[in-house]
Amino acid sequence: MSRGLDLAEAALRASGGDDAEVVVHAERSGVARFAASIVHQPTLIENAVVRVRVARDGKIGWAATNRVDSGGFAEVARRAREAADSARPDPNFLGFAPPAHYSDLGGYDEETAELGAADQARLAAAAIEAAGGIGLYGIYTSGVTEIAVASSTGLAAEQETTDAVCLCLAADTEASGWSERTGWRAADVDPAEPAREAAETAARTRGGGELEPGTYRAVLEPVAVADLVRWFSYDSMGAQGFLEERSYFCGRIGEQPFDSKVSIADDALDPANLPKPFDFEGTPKQRVPMIEDGVIKGVVWDRITAARAKNGQVSTGHAPPDAWRFFGPVPTAFDMAGGEASSSEELAEIVGDGIYVTRLHYLSVVDPRGGVLTGMTRDGTFRIRDGRIAEPLVNLRFTVAISDVLGDVPGLSRDRRLVNLNDLYDERFAHAALVPAIATGHFHISGTGSGPGL
Amino acid sequence: MKALAEAAVDAALGAGASYADARAVSLRRQYVVTKNGNVDDLSDTESEGIGVRVLVDGAWGFAGSGRLDESAARDAALRAAEFARAAPGRHQTHLAPVEAHTGVYRTPLERDPFSVPLTEKIDLCLRAEEGMRHDEVKVTVAMIRAQHEHKVLVSSEGTNVEQEIYECGGGIDAYASSDDVSQVRSYPSQHSGVSGQGGWEYVEELGLDREAPRVGEQASALLRAPACPPGRTTIVLSPEQAVMQVHESVGHPTELDRVYGTEAAYAGTSFLSPDDLGSLRYGSERMNITADSTTPGGLGTFSFDDEGVPAAREAIVEGGMLRGFLSSRQTAAQLGAGRGGSMRADGWARMPLVRMTNLHLEPGEGSFEELLADVDDGLYLETNKSWSIDDKRLNFQFGTQVAWEIKDGKLGRMLRDATYTGVTTVFWGKLDAVAGPEEWTLFGLTNCGKGQPGQEAHVSHGAAHARFRDVEVGVSA
Repeated sequence: MSRGLDLAEAALRASGGDDAEVVVHAERSGVARFAASIVHQPTLIENAVVRVRVARDGKIGWAATNRVDSGGFAEVARRAREAADSARPDPNFLGFAPPAHYSDLGGYDEETAELGAADQARLAAAAIEAAGGIGLYGIYTSGVTEIAVASSTGLAAEQETTDAVCLCLAADTEASGWSERTGWRAADVDPAEPAREAAETAARTRGGGELEPGTYRAVLEPVAVADLVRWFSYDSMGAQGFLEERSYFCGRIGEQPFDSKVSIADDALDPANLPKPFDFEGTPKQRVPMIEDGVIKGVVWDRITAARAKNGQVSTGHAPPDAWRFFGPVPTAFDMAGGEASSSEELAEIVGDGIYVTRLHYLSVVDPRGGVLTGMTRDGTFRIRDGRIAEPLVNLRFTVAISDVLGDVPGLSRDRRLVNLNDLYDERFAHAALVPAIATGHFHISGTGSGPGL
Repeated sequence: MKALAEAAVDAALGAGASYADARAVSLRRQYVVTKNGNVDDLSDTESEGIGVRVLVDGAWGFAGSGRLDESAARDAALRAAEFARAAPGRHQTHLAPVEAHTGVYRTPLERDPFSVPLTEKIDLCLRAEEGMRHDEVKVTVAMIRAQHEHKVLVSSEGTNVEQEIYECGGGIDAYASSDDVSQVRSYPSQHSGVSGQGGWEYVEELGLDREAPRVGEQASALLRAPACPPGRTTIVLSPEQAVMQVHESVGHPTELDRVYGTEAAYAGTSFLSPDDLGSLRYGSERMNITADSTTPGGLGTFSFDDEGVPAAREAIVEGGMLRGFLSSRQTAAQLGAGRGGSMRADGWARMPLVRMTNLHLEPGEGSFEELLADVDDGLYLETNKSWSIDDKRLNFQFGTQVAWEIKDGKLGRMLRDATYTGVTTVFWGKLDAVAGPEEWTLFGLTNCGKGQPGQEAHVSHGAAHARFRDVEVGVSA
């Protein structure tokens, strides 16, 4: 790899002197996907996508190709130009991003980059072995991603990153448990750890009982917290939902609907996350506080939405990859402050009587402006009684307002976990949430589902 | 492309594969999106490459390369074989037999959607947007998409097929808001509109500009509509919401790879077991579900799936009884029944998975009005807004953009924030009427996610209005 900027600049030259911006998004990756302790779908991908965005008389069009040769560059530039010529002037386009200085944040590890198919299979085997007798389902994946941006403003940005992810579901027909690890160094992702944890959780889920619908106090593990925050963010923490009045944050900037212990930022500059110095417009990333001490502070922006705000707002460096463009800018490096609790068990003590949730499944936004989400729990749902994690429960349907869940947070864990958010659709774009486990005083269960297990 | 696929298969066999197939794919997509009277997105993307799948000592391997040349094709085959050889586990893979086919398929169409000038597409979007303008409508969006996929499949068993598939579609959305309320109204669906296999004539028939005034007016009216109250009642689903119900609570659970657990960690499994075939009562006698990869205009229509199995029409649920699964050659062999035919891959860089093709709720009889006439007190639920279902596909909760009260057999006032919930087989057991063929409509969706790495499938479903008794509605936080 490491040729992204060369490709971007070659494509820029092929755009024939137009105002243009080129983004190269390249990956070399392997996914060892396993089920019932067998690697059944191993996938190796090598690809580079070149996107050319052209501005002609204020009109914008773009085209993309994975033909990275002179013929491909000429054709993609021609199609981008044709699109621009067909468009109408965009009043919110204030030009491509200017050149900038980018910090070296790390995020690349040679050892991880060198992992090949045999290594990915070996690491998947290590997870399977560590799970013991119970079937293991999930993936071990590692990859190298390169993102480069060049534009006619003179901007030139390039970052090569690595990531490794091991997702583990230990399950049989009556039991299931989940754990995972993510990092930009494969050495930080020991596949045996999540496999063992998933197996241990699964062993406690047999015979899950029913629960009457109602509002419960709850402990949410980091994986569940990350999923809730991510789904809430789609409408509420990005500028597009905010400007279009779908965001829970609309009209509430400066208000405090959340517990004062809740602080959530987006911070791609943190090497403890999966660091990224710039976004898909080449704008340097900023740490953006979205909720601070329970007070709503703001949302993340790209150049188009910032211009649309017409109030001097500038991009915070959150232009999304192409595949997400219809969402607009969204956070991709959540940073939620931890608390004082030394463990999830201590959070259970704080909750006293309630439920314990390991993982969520199939979330959906019921009411974006109200911040209402629904979904299911899975792979480790338990009752909490007398301050201790007690008997297992079936999977539960929840329908919650995030302002309720995060409005009453009696405790958070001190330790935080980096939770994978990348579902591996489209081009590889590793991103994650650094979040604690939380205790909440308000988690509304609206129904029950199937028992744990396959 | 054919020569490259053949070279890849040769290379895989040379590397010790007992079976190999290669798909060379060239894909082009175009989007035109306007928002609030401005062009919001005008894009034209292409992707080409080759994906090689191999079986070595019973283990699968897959590698994709974004270069369409012989050395990349051979290299992908060798890497796939290397991965298969390294894959841990006791591998036993058997494939249901399929006759080797050669053939060519091309979507029948009148007007190539890529030949339509972009300006014509923009004009249509802007006209539709103009029609949606209404008090309190803050955001209007119109979208048109087109796709052309050219793919060649070659297998070591002699299959050699070439298919050229055109899709296009579109949709409109109006977002209204005031104070603390935000509502959306869409046509024909909220899921990036709808799409079909065919030419530009498909988009013209949608009538986006024709429907726009109603969409804008209803979005605005929803702001003042009362919220759907909780309770149990009779519901009538619009065809668009009925297809979402089919997709989530019949389509996914009847995918045989989910039944066998190979999607467990991500998308989930299924409440069905292989033994349920022929014996499980899925729903009432009115419930008839068909998988049909021959449906004209369907996004899941082809001559051959991505394993080279010919298209067919097959019963999945008949008179409420489970009669079939969606399968691959491997899962069909595992079951000892069926032949595959539902294997589809998202582009060249992904391994084929068991996916829906076109899955339909077959029509019953009578009109929409006749369905309503037999409801004293109930709700008509229209246009999907939210959707969620558990990992075994049992407990679901859907929300719709709009609900209408049904009183004494007639539609009454509008309600907002409608939801309904249930358990799959219990819910389908309460199906007591499906409207007739004249009400049956085909919807094509382009956002069905599954697999790791993730894949989006384009699938179609047909349904008419459907009536269910005694359903829990009005779930709230």
